[in-house]
Amino acid sequence: MSDAHLETPFPERAHAALGDAHLQEALTIATTKFIGLRKESFEGYPDGEALRDRARAIKEATLQGLDQHLERLADNIERLGGHVHWAATGEEARDIILRLCRDKGVRMAVKSKSMATEEIELNEALEAAGVKPVETDLGEYIIQLAHEKPSHIIAPAIHKTKGQVADLFSKELGGRFEADPEVLTAVARKELRQKFLEADMGITGANFAVAETGTIVLVTNEGNGRMVTSLPRIHVAVMGMEKVIPTMTDLMVFLSILARSATGQKLSSYTTLVRGPRQPGEVEGPEELHLILMDNGRTRQIAGTLREALYCLRCGACLNVCPVYRQIGGHAYGYTYPGPIGILLTAMLKGNAAVKDLAHASSLCGACKDVCPVRIDIPRMLVELREHLDREKIAPWGERMLFGLARRAMASPGLFDAGVRLGRMAQRPFVRDGKLRTLPLFFGKWTRTRDLPPVAARTFSERWKEIERP
Amino acid sequence: MTTRTEFLGSIRREMSKTRGLFETHPVPRPPDAGQAFEMVKRQMAERWPQALERFREEFERIAGVFHRVARLDEVPGAIKRIAEARQAKSVLSWDPGALGLDLRKSLGPEGYSVTVAPDGDPDVPARQLHRDAAAQAEIGVTGVDWALAETGTLVLVSGRGRPRSTSLLPATHVAVFDRGCLLESLEQVGTMLEALHADPARSMSGAVINFITGPSRTADIELTLTRGVHGPKDVHAIFVEGR
Repeated sequence: MSDAHLETPFPERAHAALGDAHLQEALTIATTKFIGLRKESFEGYPDGEALRDRARAIKEATLQGLDQHLERLADNIERLGGHVHWAATGEEARDIILRLCRDKGVRMAVKSKSMATEEIELNEALEAAGVKPVETDLGEYIIQLAHEKPSHIIAPAIHKTKGQVADLFSKELGGRFEADPEVLTAVARKELRQKFLEADMGITGANFAVAETGTIVLVTNEGNGRMVTSLPRIHVAVMGMEKVIPTMTDLMVFLSILARSATGQKLSSYTTLVRGPRQPGEVEGPEELHLILMDNGRTRQIAGTLREALYCLRCGACLNVCPVYRQIGGHAYGYTYPGPIGILLTAMLKGNAAVKDLAHASSLCGACKDVCPVRIDIPRMLVELREHLDREKIAPWGERMLFGLARRAMASPGLFDAGVRLGRMAQRPFVRDGKLRTLPLFFGKWTRTRDLPPVAARTFSERWKEIERP
Repeated sequence: MTTRTEFLGSIRREMSKTRGLFETHPVPRPPDAGQAFEMVKRQMAERWPQALERFREEFERIAGVFHRVARLDEVPGAIKRIAEARQAKSVLSWDPGALGLDLRKSLGPEGYSVTVAPDGDPDVPARQLHRDAAAQAEIGVTGVDWALAETGTLVLVSGRGRPRSTSLLPATHVAVFDRGCLLESLEQVGTMLEALHADPARSMSGAVINFITGPSRTADIELTLTRGVHGPKDVHAIFVEGR
């Protein structure tokens, strides 16, 4: 996401999203549908809950031996004729790809949907270097033509109507296209088929990589992932290092819950296991395979607050159920990864200061944890993140002071009672119809969108004292 | 540029801080891949009829079209009927050795243009020629390594004479399989994949294994399900009863 967008503070970005009636409708329809599909899928799958526990256990165990699994993965990929690159930062990952493009004379790269390449803002870098990046996932293709960013991890263009897509295609591709998803999909098929056949490089992410066999795994529905890994002469996969898993047996555990969590499918249309470039005797496949293993802030969380966020499969289930995401959508978050898990991933990649507002964009209701296929405790980490913001003095001064006072008052009954009496007096001019509707100074931010119940005429503790001494 | 040693070194430094803090019991798996493979084979030799029924149900649920023929020599007729319905005239197929059928002999005389994948080690011009034919073909005919009942999935391992794009580029994919391919669960697929990789003769056979679960699909425009976005719009599975 461009920095220009981030100059608008989060509350204003969120407010703008709330006022966008079309976005509101699109979000409600999409998230409600995803929730239903996921629920139905797990209800008909009695093994699902146990498999979620197993998946979590695999992630936890893998992280405890991460160095060995990565070594094994790299050795096996090299044994199969592939190349492995190690990128400590996003910038380094970008440079590796740009150098490959330069050395191999790449002019056009076709891409399948990948959050990792979004994370490193690869398209902008490719364009600047004179390489044409072509997104081939239908949603990403729409977003790229519109010069926008994805608003959902698995459905990047859910904020657009078919009418908007038809107008966009008509303008960008020349022609007059009907606002019918069937027609528009056929248009994209024709346009992109040619690109697959012409491109020099295919760029993908990776949903998993199996260490023991050196296999890169892509989970897709459209078939573009298969095109991108089969037709161009070079395949580059960019992968967050935490995506490594030990064995094929482990992979089956993840496959049985990933698509169910994301779209409610038992398996997505295509699960593609890539092991190396074209092998002897094969009529097709890339001549070169490159895997870029990317750190970009992940390592420091192995022993950090956000460790559990390293288990994330990027299924998007936590977005759909989040009462905040459902209201403001993906763009308002302002970074690559939206939603509850996105807040944590943003803190991981960009540092805690980047989420000083976002850390509060959660009601801590716990719905995200309930649906997470690997049961990531997102609410716990959000609370810890807030604590860090306070301790590292990143949170605004007023907020820290107020909560500092509140903490002291809570710890001392005398101070608490004094606070209550003070509040009861101070609130008097602001109570209307039994509610605090507008407050002065920075307290006003609270009452701008909601009412506050006033301090009671007689509090519970005051009445309790009377009961104790009749 | 970060080296492997530096990259792993920083991971090890952080890992040393969490030693003993988290549980590390990995998921149990078959100790002997070969034995587990034989066990699954034995189970499925008895249970394939139920697996076939389940496969059919799941495959049709995801918009696959199921066919059943008594013998292998009835397969060309079934393909012809599929082609007629789509008014298709060009057929792309795996190498006859890999498929068990030479469609040039059966469909060629009927007026179809049939391209088969080259066996052996194709040179660059041969590869380009095949790619051009694959990009033009209307129907792609492949074999199947495993048919997974639980999800209606066809698993195809690429290799010599078994191109990966035969099931991808043509708008219609026809897969031919028999009882020996049937599996019940993803767990069994895992067992088969473990065995495949443990066997040095087979593990390097091809670079790609594809799990195909119905036609290519998208719901990226207003969540409206649309088929055939990049890959096949129709997927047919022909079950051959005889062996």
